[in-house]
Amino acid sequence: MNMNKVREDDDYSIVIFKPGTSPGEKRKGLFFFTVLTIIILAQAFYWLFANSVEPITWGMPFGMFTVVALILLEFATLAAMYWTETREDSNKGGAK
Amino acid sequence: MSWMITLSVIFIYLIIVFCIGSIAGRGRKSSVNEYIAAESSLGFVVLYFLMGGAIFSAFAYLGGPGWAYSKGAASFFIMGYCALGLVPWWIWGPRAARAGKKFNYVTQAQLFAGRFQSKGLSVIVAIVSILAFIQYITLQMKGSAYVFEIASGGRIPFWAGAAIAYIVVVGYVFFGGVRAVAWTNVFQGIFMVTTAWVLGLYFAFSLYGGPTNMFTEIAEKMPTHLLVGPGAKMGYVEYSTALLVSVLGFTMWPHLFMKAYTAESEKVLKRTIVWYPTFALFLVPVLFIGFAGIMQVDPEVLGAPDRILPWMFANMNFSPVAIGLVLAAALAAAMSTQDTITHAAGSIFAQDLIQPLKKEKLSDASATLWIRISVVGFGLISYLVAIFGGQTLVSLLLGSYGSIVQLLPVTAATFFWPRATKAGVIGGMLTGVVFNYLIVLKVIPKFAGVHPGLQGLILNILVLVVVSYLTKPMDRKHVQEYVGL
Repeated sequence: MNMNKVREDDDYSIVIFKPGTSPGEKRKGLFFFTVLTIIILAQAFYWLFANSVEPITWGMPFGMFTVVALILLEFATLAAMYWTETREDSNKGGAK
Repeated sequence: MSWMITLSVIFIYLIIVFCIGSIAGRGRKSSVNEYIAAESSLGFVVLYFLMGGAIFSAFAYLGGPGWAYSKGAASFFIMGYCALGLVPWWIWGPRAARAGKKFNYVTQAQLFAGRFQSKGLSVIVAIVSILAFIQYITLQMKGSAYVFEIASGGRIPFWAGAAIAYIVVVGYVFFGGVRAVAWTNVFQGIFMVTTAWVLGLYFAFSLYGGPTNMFTEIAEKMPTHLLVGPGAKMGYVEYSTALLVSVLGFTMWPHLFMKAYTAESEKVLKRTIVWYPTFALFLVPVLFIGFAGIMQVDPEVLGAPDRILPWMFANMNFSPVAIGLVLAAALAAAMSTQDTITHAAGSIFAQDLIQPLKKEKLSDASATLWIRISVVGFGLISYLVAIFGGQTLVSLLLGSYGSIVQLLPVTAATFFWPRATKAGVIGGMLTGVVFNYLIVLKVIPKFAGVHPGLQGLILNILVLVVVSYLTKPMDRKHVQEYVGL
């Protein structure tokens, strides 16, 4: 691990990414972090935009449908994140 | 006579679970790592159900329909947080697993105690966890006792029903450790999900000709029931903060956190997180059952809202075998949570409370024995609390839900903030826990409907940061071992 790089900085500052993480990986990490945070906030504040019964969609009141739709969106996001990560690993020649 | 058939179905279910549990752990060696973490060998399917079974408790199966019936839209919150709960684990899970491999940890408190060089921290975490567990498991016991009561038409009293289910659980956990918990959860999970879908759709279609009609009728009769906010059963702030606290705190539950040590690889861990939201969709039909009950029975006739699921099929002229299957599924929900928590509580008690208080390190064999004894002991104590627990005790334990989320700052500090010190994390955690209890015990009033756990969490972070800066930083090399994971 690249210990020298850590030494140069303030030794006790917050470390979000492991030393040696590439800028591309950092960007990707931040992107998914932001998207998932938005999904969590949307789920917590769903009543701001979907606090109604009509239209009844997929047999559920609109509020319940929104909660379910957000769950599906979350699943898709997680799957995309997993997919990009494992694809990277196999490109590197299967990093363990 | 029909109750005997129903009861037989339930007993057959119990025998199957017991057999799966006993076989699962057979032929494995008797070590702490095997007993608690299955020597990091669990694959995706098993881990998925292990995590799923733990959360789909009696609360989801009996309480979920009860909420839909009595509180309406507030019940959507259960789905939302179940789906999101595991997301923060993407951050902690792999790091905890790496720490486990590096330092041979099998519990959450060991990780904190290692990073902050404090046995006291381990003891505090263990006490907070075990208090929370007792509350959690008492609920499950009431659930299983309830199932037996209905199945036998009141012939099996509360104390006996709770005992039967729990003896089976303690039995297979004692022998099989985490493997028994995992494999029984696979069976129980599949069983629960299937029953829920069949039942939820059946009620919606047979009583209303489909869910759309059902909800139209409900909205006509009770216009605010399917909404949150003023006039509904749950306010805006209450809904949002309850969801946020639950999502942040979910992976802090020690019995879930420590499962990071059981995964075969990081890929397995992450795949479990990806698929976990699908488990929450299983709550859709469960809530349907509760909604279907609204036009069928008056709340005053029903008594407690948790009785809605049993009431529904008791009045549908189902065959005794079908009733037995549904009740067995409810029992599966309760038991699949009981086993995970009993296993975790025994492990934590022995590893994080007894071990640090002993002078010399226990040998592997005697440590495993200690865990087994703790499993039985914890089982007995929580059983006694369920049977004899008074009102004061119950309200004390209620505060434990808000206490668990107080482990979040110390977790984040462990992995991301080298400057955090032992005094900082202990001070922060104690502040958060105490503040949360003061609100729960009504010493200080609740602020604007904000969840007490969230209020405690904010103070907790403040204290952690301030005290850490006021105290001497910890050894640089030591903390980098954890931050660089």
